[in-house]
Amino acid sequence: MCTLSKKESRAPTTCPGLDPNSGDGLERECSRKPEQKLPEHCGVGDPTPEFSVSSHLSSRGRMSKWFWDSAEEGYRTYHMDEYDEDKNPNGIINLGTSENKLCFDLLSSRLSQGDMLQVRPSLLQYPDWRGHLFLREEVARFLSFYCKSHAPLKPENVVVLNGCSSLFSALATVLCEVGEAFLIPAPYYGAITQHVYLYGNVRLVYVYLNSEVTELDTRPFQLTVEKLEVALKGANAKGVKVKGLILINPQNPLGDIYSPEELKEYLEFAKRHELHVVMDEVYMLSVFEESLGYRSVLSLERLPDPQRTHVMWATSKDFGMSGLRFGTLYTENQDVATAVASLCRYHGLSGLVQHQVAQLLQDRDWINQVYLPENHARLKAAHAYVSGELRGLGIPFLNRGAGFFIWADLRKHLPKATFEEERLLWRRFLDNKVLVSFGEAFECKEPGWFRLVFSDKAHRLRLGMQRVRKVLTGAPQMLEDPPSSQTQEPTGQHN
Amino acid sequence: MSHQPNSLQMKGQDLKTQKPHSQVMELILHLRQIIDEYSRQLKIRHLQKDLEQEKQQHGQDIKDQEVIFVQLLGEVVNFLQAGATSILEPQLPRLSLDSRGGDGQQAQLPRKPDQLSDQLSDSKTAVLSCDLSNRGIDISASYKSSFKDFIAYIGDKYQEDKNALGFINLGLSENKLCIDLLTERLSQSDMNYIDDDLLQYPDWSGHAFLRKEVAQFLTHYCKAPEQLDPENVVVLSGCCAIFSALTLVLCNPGDAFLTVTPFYSGFTFTSSLYVNVELIPVYLDSEITGANTQPFQLTVDKLEKALLEAGFKGKKVRGLVLINPNNPLGDIYSRDSLKEYLEFAKRNNLHVIIDEIYMGTVFDESIPFHSVLSMESLPDPNRTHVIWGTSKGFGISGFRFGTLYTHNKEVASAVGAFGFLHGISGITQHKLCRLLQDREWIDNVYLPTNRSRMQEAHKYITNMLKTLKIPFLNRDSGLYIWINLKEYLDPCTFEEEQQLYRRFLDHKLLLAPGKAYKCKEPGWFRITFADKPQRLEVAMNRFSQALSEQKQYLAEKHEAHTGGI
Repeated sequence: MCTLSKKESRAPTTCPGLDPNSGDGLERECSRKPEQKLPEHCGVGDPTPEFSVSSHLSSRGRMSKWFWDSAEEGYRTYHMDEYDEDKNPNGIINLGTSENKLCFDLLSSRLSQGDMLQVRPSLLQYPDWRGHLFLREEVARFLSFYCKSHAPLKPENVVVLNGCSSLFSALATVLCEVGEAFLIPAPYYGAITQHVYLYGNVRLVYVYLNSEVTELDTRPFQLTVEKLEVALKGANAKGVKVKGLILINPQNPLGDIYSPEELKEYLEFAKRHELHVVMDEVYMLSVFEESLGYRSVLSLERLPDPQRTHVMWATSKDFGMSGLRFGTLYTENQDVATAVASLCRYHGLSGLVQHQVAQLLQDRDWINQVYLPENHARLKAAHAYVSGELRGLGIPFLNRGAGFFIWADLRKHLPKATFEEERLLWRRFLDNKVLVSFGEAFECKEPGWFRLVFSDKAHRLRLGMQRVRKVLTGAPQMLEDPPSSQTQEPTGQHN
Repeated sequence: MSHQPNSLQMKGQDLKTQKPHSQVMELILHLRQIIDEYSRQLKIRHLQKDLEQEKQQHGQDIKDQEVIFVQLLGEVVNFLQAGATSILEPQLPRLSLDSRGGDGQQAQLPRKPDQLSDQLSDSKTAVLSCDLSNRGIDISASYKSSFKDFIAYIGDKYQEDKNALGFINLGLSENKLCIDLLTERLSQSDMNYIDDDLLQYPDWSGHAFLRKEVAQFLTHYCKAPEQLDPENVVVLSGCCAIFSALTLVLCNPGDAFLTVTPFYSGFTFTSSLYVNVELIPVYLDSEITGANTQPFQLTVDKLEKALLEAGFKGKKVRGLVLINPNNPLGDIYSRDSLKEYLEFAKRNNLHVIIDEIYMGTVFDESIPFHSVLSMESLPDPNRTHVIWGTSKGFGISGFRFGTLYTHNKEVASAVGAFGFLHGISGITQHKLCRLLQDREWIDNVYLPTNRSRMQEAHKYITNMLKTLKIPFLNRDSGLYIWINLKEYLDPCTFEEEQQLYRRFLDHKLLLAPGKAYKCKEPGWFRITFADKPQRLEVAMNRFSQALSEQKQYLAEKHEAHTGGI
């Protein structure tokens, strides 16, 4: 199917926005100390590598297609050879896509109930581009309750659209000029690179986090205000104008949760520098360890800079329906809300689906008594199983209680600490019919980290982990194999 | 564009500027002739002489032509400096006034902070400028100006029993005639299917089952000579999404597309603000002259001229956008003209984006509609891209469904890559698939009913227009009629057009003013007829009330004017 970059011998070898070296002309200056051994603290993504010439596509078109061909490759290989217990038992098990497959039974039965099936003429006609009022009211009530906001949230601050990718794209466009940037702590959900770039032409400045716990840090990959300051200075020194900060909480891929104190510090940092803060809280109800005390930014008593704080949420993760394409923005800044809403004509969602989402969100009995307890119990069990397996294999990992994935340290399984070796290991997983995501796709600085998704049915998880075990324990002789002759670009990361 | 004097003093200026204006025109014509002659010579020489000679001669020719060119341009500039400043002055304030009204034009204007903050009269203007990017400010301002009235309508829709004083929207191109049929069909049990696949991340080009159904549907209803290929289909959340993704993959920032104008305003908005693609209007006139046989006729000549002019301005033109059946005119291109336009594009290596979303709105069966997909051989299949959706023919704009069909697999896959930004819910995709699949319902229930209801509604409105002696284009497709209210403007300016638009609005009636479509001549409006008879009746009452009020206003104005002297 691919006719472009893969056939070209000079096809880029890594995903453009995800390659720390592509912006390296700038990167060296950024490091505070010139010594080689010290890790760099920031990097500027440059999603504009040289692409092969095409007779029909613009440079942006080629890039978009390149993203498609490369970043989705693992995903598409999976789709061509998807595991099925009966029909394709030797197919690929997907531990790469961050989807919750544990509760389709609950969701299907809820979505099939009579209240979901209503068809009203107004649902079939042109909508208010912010979203139907009935849905925005429901979203405001829902977020007020589950984010534990101090005052009730207001429907006029809600904008509804078809997913958080669209929201990133719209926000980047209305907050930044072409070529300006957002700060983002890395490792991060790598797809954001293209979300903000394709239409918005906005770049990301990475705030690199390390696994090593040093002085000020209390945990691996800890974000501190100092690191934010350094990265911002670094970007300024390179002449990159930073307009905002993107935070994902609970974090993807780490599974970390920011404490209210940390949150406040980050928000104060942003305020000092007049930066917008885009808070991605799509995993907020997927905190399955209740003791963690997750706090949404909307629960803070006083936001340092409410006009520059923009929260996103969706049903893709917390309600396990990535195929529903529902995402929402909450911002007190009416100008931002209006500007995003005007782009919603390109990112709208069907009136009938808006009705269904509203019905779903208002059914608190079902959410509180059926869905959430069951979902959390299943997530917990699946997490316990996969983390147990990893322990059995002697693999270090971040043991967190939120999200659908585990950030695992396979560094000792790489013969050399390079991203090439990381990709070879990823390829061996895929050859052994298990799809995972490698750290480079999340802009991780240290080769050897992988993200494993555990929110899947027990039988698939078991098989998936068996295959992981096989690769890691039966691997030594394979290390001697010559590099794969395929020129295809592996990327394990889909979402 | 006519320059309407606002005072006696300006009348004098106008006379003064008339002269240089016509001289500039002459010079430009002269330039055009020289260039035509030059290119003709080049062609002949190419045939006659060998390459080496040609190269030498070519260089000399270029020098000669450059000298003449520079001289002529110098003259043009002198004339403009000397005389035209007086043209520009009265124009500028008018532009900014016009853009305040409810139209989509705003998007095309360069940013003028004063003018925008003027629009955003609320107290937050200061905050706004530091919170939003410049393009964010433009987007927001454009939204406020073009959707303010639409939002008012959404919150205050006319309902016969419950809200008899609410807005009636005949400015929106929406088919409200068959909502009963669709509501019923969409309520049937086959629509309510859910499985795990529909709830998971989809293939971003659209679920295979839907793309297959779209290919079959278009094969049948576009009368394609061969079965269309599902691999060439991409489905996204609406035709504007298709247009924006398509122009993005075809254009580098700043590249341009030619648009036959008056032109659908929805696309204008996307291109300039989100995609950074320029739309260059190919202006059509209502007047029937020379080669034209009907008002607003598109000819290859006009396309050539627009392309040439764009080239002079250093624009990189990547393609041509056609809407067939046309929005807002309702025109249907004949097979021959279609072919001519496509050949023109091929000659100039241009992509053609052809929007056929109104294909299902041809309500007179005797009028043949030719989809480009029905052509035996497309002049340039790899550069021909068709847009279609269910918003118009099926009247379900709330579904947010648009589809692209292109023979160019590279383009299809690049546009498909935008699925994550323009995705459609799996549940919706299932419903659409069921709907398109049900040929029996479409052919025996929906289409005949829709057609006859459209005919009736069209007849009702056109009769009313005839009674009111309002000229209009009498066409057989689209959901709207392009009407001429020049008679009700004095002076005939866009400012007055906007006033008239406001007057309709005061009567709780929304119409779409010509300026929203970048029509060059003030006074044209698009009025939607595809609405329930009862609402149409109320709307037309409001319409004629507003017009008689306008008439009275003009009479009073005239009286005051003549009385004053």
